[in-house]
Amino acid sequence: MRGGGWAAALVATPVAVGVTYSLAAATGLAGYGAGGFTLDRVERVLGEAAVWESFLWTVRTAALATLIAGAAAVAAAVGFRGSSALDRTARALAVLPLPVPHLIAATTAVLVLGQSGLLSRIAASAGWLAGPADMPALVYDRGGIGLILMLGWKEFPFLALVAFSVLATRGAALEDTARSLGAGPWQRFRRITWPVLWRGLAPAAVAVFAFAAGSYEAAALLAPSDPQALPVLTLERYTDPDLARRGDAFVLTLLALALAAGAVLLHEWLRHRVERLDR
Amino acid sequence: MTLAALTLACHQPAPPAADLATVPWDTVLARARGTTVTWRMWRGDPAINAYVDQWVAPRLRQRFGVTLEAVEGQGPEIENQLQIEHEAGARGTADLIWINGETFHNLRQADLLAGPWAGRLPNAVYVDSASPIIRRDFEQDPAGYESPWGTVQFALIYDSSRTPSPPRSYEELRRWILRHPGRFTHDQSFTGVTFLKQLMYSLGGGVERFQGGFDERTYLEGSARVWEWLEGVRPALWRGGAAYPGGVAELHRLFVNGEVDFTMSYNHNEAVTKVRQGVFPAAARALLLRDGTLANAHYLGIPTNAPNPAGAMVAADFLLSPEAQLEKARPEIWADGTVLAPSRLPAKWAAQFAALARDPRALPRDSLRKYARPEVVPEYHERIAADWRARIRRRDR
Amino acid sequence: MALGLLAVSAAAPFVLLALWSVGRDWFYPAVFPPKFTAESWRDLLSGERLLGATATSLVLGAGTGAFACIAGLPVGRSLARLTGWRRHAGAALAFLPVAAPPIALATGLQFSFLRLGLGGTLVGVLLAHAVPAIGYGSLYFLGVFAVFDSRIEEESRSLGATSRQTFFHVVLPLLRRPLADAFALGFLVSWSQVPLTLLVGGGPVRTLPIEVFSLVQSGQDRLAATGALLLLVPAIAALAATRLAASRTEVMAV
Repeated sequence: MRGGGWAAALVATPVAVGVTYSLAAATGLAGYGAGGFTLDRVERVLGEAAVWESFLWTVRTAALATLIAGAAAVAAAVGFRGSSALDRTARALAVLPLPVPHLIAATTAVLVLGQSGLLSRIAASAGWLAGPADMPALVYDRGGIGLILMLGWKEFPFLALVAFSVLATRGAALEDTARSLGAGPWQRFRRITWPVLWRGLAPAAVAVFAFAAGSYEAAALLAPSDPQALPVLTLERYTDPDLARRGDAFVLTLLALALAAGAVLLHEWLRHRVERLDR
Repeated sequence: MTLAALTLACHQPAPPAADLATVPWDTVLARARGTTVTWRMWRGDPAINAYVDQWVAPRLRQRFGVTLEAVEGQGPEIENQLQIEHEAGARGTADLIWINGETFHNLRQADLLAGPWAGRLPNAVYVDSASPIIRRDFEQDPAGYESPWGTVQFALIYDSSRTPSPPRSYEELRRWILRHPGRFTHDQSFTGVTFLKQLMYSLGGGVERFQGGFDERTYLEGSARVWEWLEGVRPALWRGGAAYPGGVAELHRLFVNGEVDFTMSYNHNEAVTKVRQGVFPAAARALLLRDGTLANAHYLGIPTNAPNPAGAMVAADFLLSPEAQLEKARPEIWADGTVLAPSRLPAKWAAQFAALARDPRALPRDSLRKYARPEVVPEYHERIAADWRARIRRRDR
Repeated sequence: MALGLLAVSAAAPFVLLALWSVGRDWFYPAVFPPKFTAESWRDLLSGERLLGATATSLVLGAGTGAFACIAGLPVGRSLARLTGWRRHAGAALAFLPVAAPPIALATGLQFSFLRLGLGGTLVGVLLAHAVPAIGYGSLYFLGVFAVFDSRIEEESRSLGATSRQTFFHVVLPLLRRPLADAFALGFLVSWSQVPLTLLVGGGPVRTLPIEVFSLVQSGQDRLAATGALLLLVPAIAALAATRLAASRTEVMAV
């Protein structure tokens, strides 16, 4: 491996340390009540329905948020692709919330989407709702709607940024050719714009998915108590008063890291494919 | 291998625990001067934070040269932190911790609390050690491993303008909930579990039946009655009993915004202080149920790996002083009950406690005494908390 | 219309948090606060709590930004020299600490940090923040060097300059903009971090996001909104400095 490989390995070392300790603690080699190698805890945790519900719920919520952000990014990129002042302003506005921390977005979501939050109050003064109980539950709800909306809102600027770049660099020439050959706007979109956008966005979307699935603060403030989001469940087990359950958190950590690793591999594979197409 | 080395490297032995029980007090004071004390406590109430940050801390600095740093930390987090620090042989990060009940139990079991030291504090002579609430912490003997700080009693809180005639017993509450669907709930944390515990004692014929240590059968019978009661009202609870606010702060938020008509608190005076702060509506009042409410003392502990035990003791002693206890008891400050016995105090202090301005909205002292019930062993609390959590997550959908 | 929607969506957090930070007795169903108070801003400016946390966060942010540059640049550069699947493998390794959920990193690393005596210390938290930040920095500089015209380095060396001289006097000045961007990127990673600080810092290390988080959880909406605004403004300022850092990481690395 040349210099680059070693350098990258160094960057990933803390993750390796984390994985090593988590493996040790999950299999009884380290941590409270360590009594020697055993797969009991791993079996028990992976056999718990609550754990899988949590995992699947987290994946589904992150996927929906990514879809929403992606769809909005595509719409914004296609809708505002010109170079007029309007287009440029729109693109700048779309990207502006990029550095808003998850915590801030979640805080605002709590205050706005709660049953007695701002949205509910506006609806009440418009006469659509009689009281807070009439407002559909958007936070702490099983559907995780509030969380999905907040994550979608938070990740939209990033995907929009990528979409704008992709269209600007890759789409232009092909589209001009197509137009000169007489293709109509819908055909151009379907045959050229959309594939270009889709392929360019795919790696970023996978990254966004990983960020959304891993967010602790957002889930802690917006997610329901049943099923729990994976990051929240992990911390709850980690600080469980029943010391024997604390080791469970490490199995959950390994699960989360496996998901992240899967996303990373998918991301790189998608980039590899995009590269090949460019050549 | 390097990975193994990184995970298991640099074992640092914990600093030797000070000989807290026998060192003369002057030495303790001298050791504490010029040091910083990190105090892990619950920081969720601005009134308490103001008392600690703006009244206690400056005086500690001026009189004892101790800099107080109060940081967030509650029971399970503190237990986890101490346990993992111990396991890693790492330096301690907390000198003083605000604990009681099950935290005390768990830390003692794991031998993570330093002591005994509480009895040798100069102000300990004033403590009302005859009181059943102070003498026993959840039926355990503090034995000098924790120093009492304040007393509280559980109460429901309601808005007298919204609910002019509130229920006065659990039976009346049950009927009220059924008549007002969606207007009552409890939280998932300490306060909510306390509510369930009280329910268990009252349905089980009184807290006496549960005293004397943990008994599995008693618990199973008691909790079965609680589940039955809850199932009876579940559809009429907030959100149909499908979701519960995570902590008491969220429950407060529901209450002030009119989503529910009751909230609760382990501090019977919380209604008073929060109305003053403008956080609760002006008509908010505390409510004791005739079946009895749990009264409890809260304490301060020192971890075995505390970097500055001398400073922690000085801080604990000051917090125990008549001056600090009086300030804490003021309705405009925190209205937390004192652990000192007026009969043991010098006359001038006793007089000040007696003259303490009572907020007209506060609960009368004799009612508090009449309905006070002591806590029992923490296992009941932990079991009912765990089983309740498992039940709401296992529900049929 | 769509433009209006974008504008509202972008401005919403600022406006709403600003309102919440000065509203008093703002209960349901009032759409606007009935009374206003500057209490929480006064508390903020006079009290130690939020200011202390802000100072800690600034220090941590600056340190993390520095890590992102100083470590990210060489890693990114060596990654850019790789080709084909090797580069993808290298990028994947660098991406791992970025994509890993911070809570998972924190639970995995807390023990090791404690062992090394870093628990509850500012340095420990800084190193913890550096873990994802260096990953971000590496990926970012990979993107930068992937399109960097190395002929200028060759020319410089052919004129007799040593590698070192070339790097410091020719390459580095050209990278002023990317370095600023990478610094801002690392700063942002630290500035908004919650789980790593919670577990590695363990109480004594109080950062602004931790304070805001605990204020929201304990229902102190007014103070929470104040802290949140304090958290938000530098983040947006960092974006102004960063501009298109993210786009380079993604698109130009192809």
